[in-house]
Amino acid sequence: MFFAIPLLIVALGGVFTERGGVTNIALDGMMIMGAFTGIFFINQMEGQMSGQLLLIIAILISTVTGIIFSLLHAYASINMKSDQIISGTALNMFAPAFAIFTARMIQPNGVQQIQFINSFRIPKVPVLGDIPILGGLFFQNAYITTYLGFIILVISVIVLYKTKFGLRLRACGEHPHAADSVGINVYKMRYAGVMISGALAGLGGLVFVVPTSTNFNATVSGYGFLALAVMIFGQWKPLRVLFAALFFGLMKTVASAYSVIPFLAMTAIPSDLYKMVPFIATLIVLAFSSKASQAPRAVAVPYDKGSR
Amino acid sequence: MEYVIEMLNITKAFPGIIANDDITLQLRKGEIHALLGENGAGKSTLMSVLFGLYKPEKGIIKKEGNVVKINNPNDANDLGIGMVHQHFKLVHNFTVLQNIILGVETTKGGFLEMEEPRKKVLALSEQYGLKVDPDALIEDITVGMQQRVEILKMLYRDNEILIFDEPTAVLTPQEIEELMKIMRGLTEEGKSILFITHKLNEIKAVADRVTVLRKGKYVGTVEVCTTSKEEMSEMMVGRKVHFAVEKKASSSGVVTFEVKNLVVPSKRSSKKAVNNVSFDVRKGEIVCIAGIDGNGQSELVYALTGLGPVESGHIFLKGKEITKMSVRDRNVLSMSHIPEDRHKDGLVLDYTLSENLILKKYYTPQYQHNGFIRFNEVDAYAERLIKEFDIRTGEGAKTIVRSMSGGNQQKTIVAREVDYDPEILIAVQPTRGLDVGAIEYIHKQLVEQRDAGKAVLLISLELDEVMNVSDRILVIFEGEIVADLKPEETTIQELGLYMSGSKRKEVAI
Amino acid sequence: MKTVRDFILSDAFNKTAASVFAIVIGLVFGFIVLLVSNSSEAVHGFGIILNGGFSTGAKGMGQVLYFATPLILTGLSVGFAFKTGLFNIGAPGQFIMGAFTAVYIGVQWTFLPAPLHWIVALIAAALVGGLWALVPGILKAYMNVHEVISTIMMNYIGMYLANYLVKVSIYDFKKGLSMNVADSAVLPKGGLDYIFYNPLGTVKDMSTVNCGIYIAIAVAIIMYFVINKTTFGYELKACGFNQNASRYAGINAQLNVVLSMVIAGMLAGLGGGLLYLSGASGRHIKVVDVLAIEGFNGIPVALLGLSNPIGIIFAAIFISYITVGGNFLQTLNFVPEVIDIIIACIIYFSAFALYFRKLLPRLLKKERGDKE
Repeated sequence: MFFAIPLLIVALGGVFTERGGVTNIALDGMMIMGAFTGIFFINQMEGQMSGQLLLIIAILISTVTGIIFSLLHAYASINMKSDQIISGTALNMFAPAFAIFTARMIQPNGVQQIQFINSFRIPKVPVLGDIPILGGLFFQNAYITTYLGFIILVISVIVLYKTKFGLRLRACGEHPHAADSVGINVYKMRYAGVMISGALAGLGGLVFVVPTSTNFNATVSGYGFLALAVMIFGQWKPLRVLFAALFFGLMKTVASAYSVIPFLAMTAIPSDLYKMVPFIATLIVLAFSSKASQAPRAVAVPYDKGSR
Repeated sequence: MEYVIEMLNITKAFPGIIANDDITLQLRKGEIHALLGENGAGKSTLMSVLFGLYKPEKGIIKKEGNVVKINNPNDANDLGIGMVHQHFKLVHNFTVLQNIILGVETTKGGFLEMEEPRKKVLALSEQYGLKVDPDALIEDITVGMQQRVEILKMLYRDNEILIFDEPTAVLTPQEIEELMKIMRGLTEEGKSILFITHKLNEIKAVADRVTVLRKGKYVGTVEVCTTSKEEMSEMMVGRKVHFAVEKKASSSGVVTFEVKNLVVPSKRSSKKAVNNVSFDVRKGEIVCIAGIDGNGQSELVYALTGLGPVESGHIFLKGKEITKMSVRDRNVLSMSHIPEDRHKDGLVLDYTLSENLILKKYYTPQYQHNGFIRFNEVDAYAERLIKEFDIRTGEGAKTIVRSMSGGNQQKTIVAREVDYDPEILIAVQPTRGLDVGAIEYIHKQLVEQRDAGKAVLLISLELDEVMNVSDRILVIFEGEIVADLKPEETTIQELGLYMSGSKRKEVAI
Repeated sequence: MKTVRDFILSDAFNKTAASVFAIVIGLVFGFIVLLVSNSSEAVHGFGIILNGGFSTGAKGMGQVLYFATPLILTGLSVGFAFKTGLFNIGAPGQFIMGAFTAVYIGVQWTFLPAPLHWIVALIAAALVGGLWALVPGILKAYMNVHEVISTIMMNYIGMYLANYLVKVSIYDFKKGLSMNVADSAVLPKGGLDYIFYNPLGTVKDMSTVNCGIYIAIAVAIIMYFVINKTTFGYELKACGFNQNASRYAGINAQLNVVLSMVIAGMLAGLGGGLLYLSGASGRHIKVVDVLAIEGFNGIPVALLGLSNPIGIIFAAIFISYITVGGNFLQTLNFVPEVIDIIIACIIYFSAFALYFRKLLPRLLKKERGDKE
């Protein structure tokens, strides 16, 4: 579950930007930036605040960081009509370098990792935590971020399919000229899509780090890219993305927790190979699902008014 | 007389070209006003200015006597101006209803509200006789219906001034007649129509007046009923034009190319794209397959040239079975192909002219040695073709093809394919989007090939071209050959009936 | 005057100017970062970066060439893929797999004498790199999987796999690195040891540069010929520009996609081999969960070099130059990651290049008037 939720959040972010027509492979970098600022905030403020309030503010900071960082990608892709993969790659390289650089400059002793104390775990939600099976899964040892993930999912579905914004955004991703010809500002729509993906990716970065470790080392282990795969596997539809995210989350959980699962622990497969599992699984899944893949038609093509 | 729209002294320039040079257009209320000109004359640009897609460098627009500024389609819409584009601007995986309301959605508390729009659309559909299914997906409906959706888009927004950009390019003669009726109906309800075309027949059929543009400049505005087609054509082109193609009597001999019981599957549905088609082409003959876009021609040609799949059936060239041969082998066996989409299939736009000219020959011993390209030979070849076929470019053989005009790009492909000296030349819509001069030239080339004893298979939906150029006409409808006619024994009307499936003739092979 | 104008309007100048522009902006940004973090030393620090390899004397220059070697190859890898219409972000994975193969052979296959030993190691490195790109290539050609994602997956798989394999076969536990390769597997100096060293009293402080740089440059030149002068290059480029037209011309587009990826992979793999076969004082494989930066840096090299092999040579030397300078920054208490930031900025701004390239001719054309 801890692995699935960040995937879900970030992948939904990817859905929004790609539905608008901009491909964002810098999700990984945005996660790192979001995680960095959020964790750093927690690290600095631990002495003074704690508990859920600390986490909530950190969430806000991460989200805002993500939005700001995504503006770089938006500007390059939309205004400058640059190759979206290149600008995405640039941001992916920038983020960890920046995180390490700043961490070492600011922290005493030039230490690269940022520590934090995890004071956010909710051992058990009253009442709901007692529901058999589901209670154990969702309402024990949880974080508010888990619930946040589901809320985001629901909102995404509604926004994408039931609102004016969602309809227009989808039009921009499929046929920007059609949208333009009915007076929709394609640039603005695409900006919105990218910013949403930045927000969700930044948030996702924080959500990824908090439950699973006690320090941040300028990496999210390639999660941003896994999120892209989840998005493709989910065929850009929020509900399917949920299932894809759960599937991958399961894979990753198995990979990390193999020592706890009796029969797997007996086979002496080393940890490195387990780490590979999510990525191999992704490849296999992509191999089978890409043939009939229906990406938004105008994705990754810079919108040029003059071209007809 | 009150003009409802006036475009005065409009100048619009793009990098390197002045698309509209000081043009004046005046539209009376309730009239159908045609805008005539060749491809590239500036008609679409002018209308895009009116619709707010482009901003002119100079000039003003007036509505009912008042100067107005149209900066984007919303402004145009507010003024009651609507446009049906030549390339439909519909989102393929949205429904008809969603496409109609896009941009002017009604919302309730932030959520889309669809019931009101649905009622309005159905009412409009009744009023103007435009049949549509609001919940059908665009990608599933016919082109004719898609066009009706575009028209409904305008009516839904209460547009009074309607612009049609080359609306008949994709319609059968019968659908064209229907469209003409719809247009007249619209003007009777008080709408004013601007109608872009390069087809003189249609102007004669519905328009009241016509404004002619040539190479971005304004030539004149005349009353349709007092002007002949020849006069209009001369205004459009600047010189007298031959309509008929001169050719000798055909001398068909041996069968060179044979197709037997060809079946090609469709990507979209379980119906076959090509369903049990058989025909042959003889030496020294031009056979034309006529039909509305989307009736299986593309799949047929792809199957014949090796670019697409064949489910069953046989294809023979010079007696040899080529059904399963690779594209290269077919080329080597002497098949040439002028493709439907020159940008997609026929040219590598980012390559130079000479690199494109050797696209099918680069691996032959003449042009390479041990894998290394012999650039001297390549350049010499390119120079020869440029001269022979009069291909006009900025920098000769080194020009990047992307920067060449459509006509010259097509000439490049024609030069390459004709010089290949094939036994069978398959030409698909070879004159699409070209100006009259280029069209004349290409027709001449096709006839020359045929006179030299080659077999030519022409796919076209320009009925004038079909009637003038071919020796035999095969009509294709829904993947089947429904007629085998000689041009002198039929009329355009009859062809139209076959093309729309209203008539069938037993084809004996 | 006309010729000067023509030159400025020409494509080549345009593209080079765009690259230079991106570099300048990247450096400026880096300077700002230095300024923000330690303004008193910023100028000095920036000077060190600009001084690059020279900051540490002749040995430094040697190191520049040493680190440029793998960059030339990963740059070629990415650039070659670009030219054929593909985006090879999988260079890090191909690189590290090639590196492992080379080191493994270097350590274990001691039955081979020099020079055969290192030659075999290099060839094997290239082959494994190519193999690593084969999977994404096939997936793209036949199953329409986007090569960006599949190569990124292969990067991580490669990283973990390489770490694992090093640990079980050629690991030096004390140092946490791969073991030293046998002397017979070390690339010979090829005369370069006479130039690139700093004298330290009576001892030579040797740079680790070796004939690898010769090999890299030779490969670049070969690639130049292949791409521009052969029918094979013609086919690959055609596929990259327009797959449909290539099929129309009778070219087997799918096979070419696979071939392009494999060749790109081989180049990156070879780069891995060249870097790590440098003897005891040179590089060893670190067993950490970090993707090979040399692989990623192939991207800016390819972009700056405009995917042209000769340009790539220069771009690689440039990136290596500022990287070496950056390492030296640590003496001033600056964090060397600033170099990575600069490089990331360069990539970012070179993505603007398209815009810039359209802008410049338009500005000049307006003065000239219309050209029809």
